[in-house]
Parts: sequence; structure tokens; C-alpha cells
Amino acid sequence: MIDPGARRTAAQCRHYAMCKIDYLGTGVCASGPEKGFVAYYPQGRMDLYRALADGLVPVTEGLVDAAESCTLCGICDLQCHFVTGMRPVAVMRALKSFVRKHLDDGKPVQAPAADPVLERLRAIAGPAWATNDPAILFTYADDPFPLAGPRMPRFAVLPGSREEVAAIVSLAAELDIPYAVRGNGGSVFGFVFTDGIVLDMGRMRRIDFDVDNWCVSVGPGVTSFELQREAARRGFRVNAAEPAATVCGNIVCTGTFSPWSNVYGTASDGFVDMEFVGRDGKIFRLNDKSAPNVYAFEHAVIPSPGVCTEAVVKLHPVTADEEAVLVPFEEFGEAVAFARDLSARRIALALAVLGGHYVSTFMSPSESLSEKLKDVLPGVLGIRYLVLAVVDAHGRAAIDRMAASVIDGALFRTLMLGLPRLADGELVELVRAYEGNRAPFEFLCSPGMRTLLETALSPSPGTIAGSVDEDLRDAYARLYARPGMTDMVWLTAFRIVSARMSRRKHMFAFLVYVPLDRMEIIDDIIAGFARIAEAHGIDHDYGFLTPMDFGKRAILEYDYYIDHADPAERRKIAGAMVEAVPWMDGLAASTKGVTFLQQVFSQGCSRKENFLYRPGPFPAREGG
Amino acid sequence: MSAPATRFLLTGGTGFLGSHLAVALLLKGHEVSLLARSLKNRPARDRVSALLDWFGLPEESRRGLRVVEGDVTRPGLGMAPGPLEELLLQTDGIIHCASDTSFSARKRAEVEAVNLGGLSNVLEAAAAGRASFFHLVSTAFVAGVAQGRCAEEPAEPAAFFNVYEETKCLGERMAMAACREAGMRLAIYRPSIVYGDSRTGRSLLFNALYSPVRAVLFLRDLYEKEIRERGGRKAAEAGVRVEPDGRIRLPLRIGASPGGGVNLIPVDYFTEAFLAVLEGAPDGGIFHIVNDRVTTIEELVGHTSGFLRLTGIRACAPGDFAAAPRNAIEALFESYVEPYLPYIRDTRRFDAANARPLLEKRGVRCPGFSYDVFERCMSFAVECGWRSPLP
Ligand SMILES: Cc1cc2nc3c(=O)[nH]c(=O)nc-3n(C[C@H](O)[C@H](O)[C@H](O)COP(=O)(O)OP(=O)(O)OC[C@H]3O[C@@H](n4cnc5c(N)ncnc54)[C@H](O)[C@@H]3O)c2cc1C
Ligand SMILES: NC(=O)c1ccc[n+]([C@@H]2O[C@H](COP(=O)([O-])OP(=O)(O)OC[C@H]3O[C@@H](n4cnc5c(N)ncnc54)[C@H](OP(=O)(O)O)[C@@H]3O)[C@@H](O)[C@H]2O)c1
Ligand code: SF4
Repeated sequence: MIDPGARRTAAQCRHYAMCKIDYLGTGVCASGPEKGFVAYYPQGRMDLYRALADGLVPVTEGLVDAAESCTLCGICDLQCHFVTGMRPVAVMRALKSFVRKHLDDGKPVQAPAADPVLERLRAIAGPAWATNDPAILFTYADDPFPLAGPRMPRFAVLPGSREEVAAIVSLAAELDIPYAVRGNGGSVFGFVFTDGIVLDMGRMRRIDFDVDNWCVSVGPGVTSFELQREAARRGFRVNAAEPAATVCGNIVCTGTFSPWSNVYGTASDGFVDMEFVGRDGKIFRLNDKSAPNVYAFEHAVIPSPGVCTEAVVKLHPVTADEEAVLVPFEEFGEAVAFARDLSARRIALALAVLGGHYVSTFMSPSESLSEKLKDVLPGVLGIRYLVLAVVDAHGRAAIDRMAASVIDGALFRTLMLGLPRLADGELVELVRAYEGNRAPFEFLCSPGMRTLLETALSPSPGTIAGSVDEDLRDAYARLYARPGMTDMVWLTAFRIVSARMSRRKHMFAFLVYVPLDRMEIIDDIIAGFARIAEAHGIDHDYGFLTPMDFGKRAILEYDYYIDHADPAERRKIAGAMVEAVPWMDGLAASTKGVTFLQQVFSQGCSRKENFLYRPGPFPAREGG
Repeated sequence: MSAPATRFLLTGGTGFLGSHLAVALLLKGHEVSLLARSLKNRPARDRVSALLDWFGLPEESRRGLRVVEGDVTRPGLGMAPGPLEELLLQTDGIIHCASDTSFSARKRAEVEAVNLGGLSNVLEAAAAGRASFFHLVSTAFVAGVAQGRCAEEPAEPAAFFNVYEETKCLGERMAMAACREAGMRLAIYRPSIVYGDSRTGRSLLFNALYSPVRAVLFLRDLYEKEIRERGGRKAAEAGVRVEPDGRIRLPLRIGASPGGGVNLIPVDYFTEAFLAVLEGAPDGGIFHIVNDRVTTIEELVGHTSGFLRLTGIRACAPGDFAAAPRNAIEALFESYVEPYLPYIRDTRRFDAANARPLLEKRGVRCPGFSYDVFERCMSFAVECGWRSPLP
């Protein structure tokens, strides 16, 4: 008695681990931090239910424990709904009743097989922290990456210290067992799977500040959200990206890039030092003279330096006058030129050119509202692109002089809390018929319109909460009453809404470093991704662009959207990649300043200059 | 005198004025080939048929109709050479009504594409075919930035209020040159601002005159709702309140210019006047289809206040705003209706020496813009949600 609705929901789990972090201040599923393994978080239980439904795992002791430890507290419903629109509690309930019935029917429960290697792993990490239970392992076997299928590991282990990591790596070397390191699995690129041992770093969550040295030491289980929260408490900020990503995993994987990369850079810019356990089980720090030179970049796919057991991350100052603004544009080229100018003039801190549909999605707590807004922003208001800039008071004054129209923090709050009325009210119909010479957004965002907007949109936590399922409205109203929820600086630092990009479908992102002074190259790349997607019938859209290094380079994201649970959609991506990969390789080889992020995988500790600029060849030196 | 041509090719027949012309011509027994484009996957034929249903045109009157799929902005009007040639061979007169009527400078490219590029394509086709008469629906506002008397002559203003006026004026010149060269007769029709049917209030388009009224209605509803549902704090701040008799007081001054007003004609009058000129001027010419009497802002304010049950709206001298700056309501209103301000405060007077005798001979007279007519038209607009009632 599998519930088909619950199975469908379970199969849609995005694996971004948002239910593993307390990003809404609700707490997290209590069994997760207690037991550690992914199976004890909602994400894992979603996988378990899908696996049961598809006959991929038997009912095991681990599965029973994972199901029974869910108290149906409801936390994950809000957490998951906030980003994906899904309601996992129905899946949790279905899983629990399946297991209960199984037990009531007296059906067998499989005990884990005895395994001497498991015993050695348990001797290292402690008996509770290593397992070979097939159900628990299944939650380490798969993600929505459409180009690879499930891959069952033999063991999952949660080390508690660098010494334990070293011992596990040594054991793996001794027995010639492959292993994979897992932060939170949020790379969703099939990276964290192996036939051997999965090292889940989730127990190593130490955070130690050294404020005199403007840095903070974090263990490999610490997530970006947790670190940003602790830094903010002390009046600092770090360059962090996806909230559920582990800080160490993010750095090692690709180097952390975010709108803050405009000033904080990426890759090795983000840290002061790192500690690794090498393939030979030896511990080294990057600051050791004898350490491998991971700062160099090789234009090839190479393995990571080892298992990161600590990152000493840079802290950045925060000033009291910071504010975020959105500057709307009708044309992409204008928006990019504006952002480049801000970056070159060192005006903004965080900086990005966002597509109108991105912003619609981020701002909307429900998919239906987001769809309406996607029509209203470009179709009615003429907003196709927005430059997001976090600025201080001086930067704000400069932007006011430079831009025709600015959505400042207060206006953003009004728009966000009044979003349902902006998306379909009389106001929009009125603006639709506007015939003036100014862009409609200029008309709407003009200072004279503020009080009218407030009257028309009636912005309040209750208004925006009105756009979600009725039973969630009170919870949403409480959420939106918090200042951070409508504060673009906070949202840009904590990024709790960015996973909404995948609310409709899983997002398959392409990232590429581009020369920001060569608009024609950027246009070509975007056109190339669009062309390939169209040829393969894939939903696609521009994502964002963030200037870097004083506007000389930028990182560009272009997204394909697929239903990863639909084999036909997975085939489409596979077909598209056959075309995209040689095209991307050719472009990177022939165009200065173009580097696809795929080439940076596992080299996130390198100096950004080594992949942003690949100089030469220069004429031979005199006498050389 | 009856029209010299009986087989017309009509562009813009899916639009406000063009559809009224199509229906009037069909009712008179003319043959009309209507060049129309498909829109949002709706074939031209379906669009036209829905339109004629809206007019309630009986089936037997549709016999003379032929719908031709095309687009004036495309070379050869977007038709294959064979069918285009055949169409032109069967055409005696062309009525060009298709136009982009946006005022916004932001839409310059589109406006030019239709009003100049499209016209040029139609003129080229006309010259290649055997049509003997070209009827161009233009506008009285080719007069551009001007004051006082504007004659039924080629207009040569120094400046225009917007891209629409500019392209319509250039279009007239283009048509005059092309017709001269091709030996085609040319009639240029210059209506002023056209609103719905004065007898029924029905319309297909709710811009121009309708826009300011719509903006005022929006403001009224906005504050009324705020008062009713949320205690009216914002309304109080804006000086909006409910009068003892239930009317809403909306503090809104509208800048008027002395002696200025808006030249309005209803679409029923436009249609009759058009036919009178079409049939009465065998040699063509330039004809203002206008109202002898402009409606003043004071009159519009009176009509609007009555219709929307409002107090507090008044016309004022532009200098008033220097003494007391615009409030939020006034700021919204003025930026919203800004493109229409030159037409509301119009001091141009359109001479109709050419058109008047033809209209008088037929007894065609422009109805006054009374409160009753206003109410009829605005009620219809509200009923339609200010959007075309067509699917
Ligand atoms: C919606 C969404 C948006 C995203 N946006 C951004 C963005 O703007 N910027 C950005 O930088 N990234 C972004 N990412 C990518 C993602 O956050 C990173 O790939 C990040 O690494 C994921 O962190 P994780 O801890 O989940 O890593 P995992 O997925 O667990 O691991 C990623 C890689 O790092 C390795 N790894 C993990 N931990 C360690 C360790 N301690 N030692 C050695 N290797 C390790 C893994 O083996 C794997 O190869 C986004 C992802 C999603 C889903
Ligand atoms: N309404 C007034 O107050 C007024 C006043 C003075 C003069 N005029 C003149 O009257 C004429 C008609 O105006 P209107 O008010 O009836 O405007 P309208 O309702 O907007 O109609 C415009 C017509 O032009 C057609 N058109 C636009 N682009 C076209 C293209 N590329 N190919 C084919 N057809 C195209 C439209 O077709 P679709 O339906 O396919 O879009 C529609 O049929 C215009 O020449 C205008 O300048 C109007
Ligand atoms: S989709 Fe929902 S259940 Fe799955 S990881 Fe994300 S928040 Fe958790």
C-alpha cells in the first residue's frame, strides 16, 4: 500500500538539504542531529519512501528506526514548502504507516550483515557512526543529477575528528576501498557517490572565531547558513553561498562564488588557511611550505587535495549604513554595463545582474504567484533584468545619481509584502495601459508613488502569506514578520530563497567565467545555451551574472530545468550535453577569459587569477 | 453621389475604427477584403468573425466579406505573390486604417515599423495593383505642436507631441508623394479623438479619453476599499474621506489651460462622416473629422464627478501647483495621463472647410458630449474592465 501521491512527492526531493539547516528558525527534524545519517532527516525519508515504493530496498532495522524516529512534528513541511512548494509530512506519514503495517503484519525486518570492515570503521568512529544498513546507505546513493543513476556505497561513516578522518582514509587505502567525501550533497552533480565508503562530515561542526585575525575556523560539517549566522552575531560577514552547503565542501568543490564575490572574490580569496587529510592519510595545512601547491590551477579535471577537515575563513567588516537596492532594466546589455561600471568604480559590495524571472521566483512564496509575477515584471512593468547591489550610504548616493530608477530597501519591502496584490490587482491593469514615455517601472518606482503603492498593495506579512496553502498561512505570516525576510541585505547574505529556483523543476546549472568587457562573448554564450536547450526541448533561462575583480571578469549562470524523476527529461539533458560539452570546450580553448566551472571542480582552493586569466602566449623575451 | 469604388481592400479592420468601417461598408453592399493578421494562434478569419458577431452583423451582410491573412509590416503584405496580385486585381479602392496608435517614445521602433514601413508596403502594393483610390485614415493631430487654427492642408509643424503624431504626419507626406507618382487619387481622413458609440456606449478601445477616468476610478476604489477594509489611515493621510451623502472626496486638481479642451467625436459619427467623404469627394482631398466644439476640462471633471460619485476634483490653473505642490493622488494622476495632456489642454482649432459641406449635405452632425453620452460610454468601459470585449 504505497500512496502514489506521496511517492510522487518523494521522487521530487531536490536533495538541496534545506531541511538539514535551521534556516527558518523553526528548529530541524530532531532525529537528524541526534543520529547524524541523512536517513534521519526528511530528505533521507523521502528517499526511503521512494526506494520502498520502487522495491529498491527491503525493510531493514535502519529503515524502521528512521521511520519511527519521525514524530510528525511538521517542521519539514514549512521548511520544504518554503523552497520547493512540497509538503513532505505526507510522505513521512506514508512511510510511518507503511512500516507500522509491515511490523503489525509480522513481516521480516532485515538486520545488517556482519562485516569485519564495518567493525573497523566502528572502532574508529564509534559504533553509532558507521553503518552498512542498505536502507541507510540508499540515502547516500542518489541525487537529482540526471546523468548518473544510483550508486550504493558499502558503508557510510560519520567521523568526529580529523584523526578519525585520517584513520578512515588510511583504512580505505589499506583495503583499497574507494571513498567519497560528502558535505551536504548539495552539489547535486553525482560527486558524492561511491561503491565504497561515504564519509559524511556532518558531525564535525566546530566554529571558532579569531576576531583579532579577522578569521573563523570551521569544521567540515558547518554549513554556510550556520557560519553566516554566527558571523553576523559578532558583527561580521563571510562570503557564503548556498545556505545548506558546507563551507569546506563549497570551497573545495568550486570555490565559493556569490554576489559578494564582487568584493570578496572566490576560490582562495575566501580563506586564510585550510587543513586536509591527504590520500595517504597524512594531515597537512595549505600554509605549510611543504604542502602541495593547490593554489595553482590546471585546466583539467583533477582530484581534490584530500579531505578537508578545517577551513580558516576570512571575516569581513559590516557597516551600519548598508542597504541593498535593485536597479531595473529593460535590456540585458544595459544592466550588465551598469553592473560592470559599479564594480569597476568599486561602488557596490554584493553585486549581481538577475533575470526578472529569477527575482519573481525568489520573492514569491508560491509557484502560482511566481508565475503571475513572471508575466507582470517584464510584461507590464518592463522589468526584464535587475541589478542587485548591496551598498553603503556613499554607494547608495552614487547609484541614485547613476540610475533612472531605484528600488530601495523600503520599496522592496512594500513590493514583497504586497506581492499578491502587485501580481494581479487593479494597479497592474492600470499600469498595463500606461502609455507614457518612461518605462512603466520608472513610473511605478518614482518617489511620488510610494504612499499610493502602500495603499494599493497593503503590504503586510498577512498579505503575502495569503498566497500559500491555507493551513500554512499563519506560519508564513509569522515568518514574514521577521525583518530579515524582507531585508535584501540579509537575504543576500543568507540566501534562503535561492533554492526556490528549483521549485518548479530541478535546476541544472551551467556556470562560466566570462570577460565582462566583451559583451558579444557573453551574448554568444547565452545564445548558445538557449539554442542547445531549444533543440532538445528543455526549459531554460538566464540565471545571473556577478562581476568580479573590478569588473574585468564575471561569473555567469545559465540554467536548464528538468523533471529529474522523468526518464524522458533526463534523456533530453544527456542529448543536450553531447552538443554542449564540445561547444563549451571549444569556446574555453579559443576565447580568453572564458572558463567553465566544470574545469574548476575540485580546484576551489586555487587562486582565482589562475583560472580567470590564462595569459599569453607572449612574444619570446629578448635574448630568450 | 455614390462611391466610385465598390471593391475595397481594408487594413486595420480588426481595430476600433477599421471594424466600424468594415461593418458600415458591408451593410452598404460593398465588397470588402479585410487584410488581418492572426494573433496568439487565433487565425485572422476567426478574429474577424468574432468581431462581426460582436457587431451583430447578419450573415447575409457578410457575403461581400473576404478575410485575407497578412501583415502590413512584411514585404508584399506578408502574402504570397500570386494571391496578392489576384487580390489587387480585384480591388478598386484601398482603405488604410492599420496603425500603431501608441504614443510612447519607448515604442518608437514598433510605431515606425507600422506607421511608416507598413504604410509604405501598402502604397507599394496599391501602385502595383489597379486600385484607383487610396483612402488614408490619419489624424487631426498631424498638426503637431501648434496653436489656433489648423487647416485641412498638408501639415508641416516644427515639432510633435509624440512619435505617433510624427509618424502619422510623415505618413501623409509619403502617401501624397506615392499617390501622385502612381496617379492614384488620395483622400486623407483626419479624425480627432474618437470614443465609443454615442447611442450605445459600446467601444473596442479604452485609451485616450478613457484613461484619465480610469485613473480616477482606480484612485476612488483604492481609497474606498482602504477606508472600508483597513480603517482608512492612508485615506485620511491623503485627504480622502467619505462625504455625509456617501460620495467620496478625492483631492485632485487637474491643470487646465485657458480656452483649452479636448476635441472628441463618437465612433458612430466618425463612421458616417467617413462614408460621407468617401462617397462625396470623388477627387479626394484632406478632411478633418472633428467636433466644432471642444469639451472643457471643467465639463469632464463635472461628468467624472457625477459618474463616479466624487467630490474634490477640480480644474485649476497650471500655476496652482507652484503654490501648493502636487499631493500623491495628483502625482499619480498626472504622470499617468501625461501622454494625453496635450489633447486635454488642446488649444488647436481644426478647420473643417472641406469636410463640412459634405457632412451637411448628408445631414451628418457630431453629437454633443453630454453627461448621458459620457455615462453610457464609461459604464460600458467599466463593464468591459477597460479591456477590449473581444476574445
Ligand atoms: C540551488 C543551488 C544553488 C547553488 N548556488 C551556488 C552558488 O551560488 N555558489 C556556489 O559556490 N555554489 C552554489 N551551489 C553549489 C553547491 O552549493 C556547492 O557545490 C557546494 O559544494 C555544496 O556543498 P555541500 O556541502 O552540499 O557539498 P557536497 O555536494 O557534499 O560536495 C561537493 C563536492 O565537494 C566535496 N567535498 C565536500 N566536503 C568536502 C570536504 N570536507 N573535503 C573534501 N571534499 C569535500 C565532495 O566530495 C564533492 O565533490 C548551488 C547549489 C544549489 C543546489
Ligand atoms: N481611435 C482614435 O481616437 C483615433 C483618432 C484619430 C485617428 N485614428 C486613426 O485611426 C486608425 C485606426 O485606429 P484605431 O483607433 O482603430 O486603432 P486600433 O484599434 O489600435 O487598431 C489598429 C489596427 O491596425 C492593425 N495593425 C497594427 N499593426 C498591424 C500590422 N503590422 N499588420 C496589420 N495590421 C496591423 C491592428 O491589427 P491587430 O488587431 O491585428 O492588432 C488593428 O486592426 C489609425 O490610423 C489611427 O491613426 C484613431
Ligand atoms: S526537497 Fe524538501 S525534503 Fe528534500 S532536501 Fe529539500 S527541503 Fe528536504
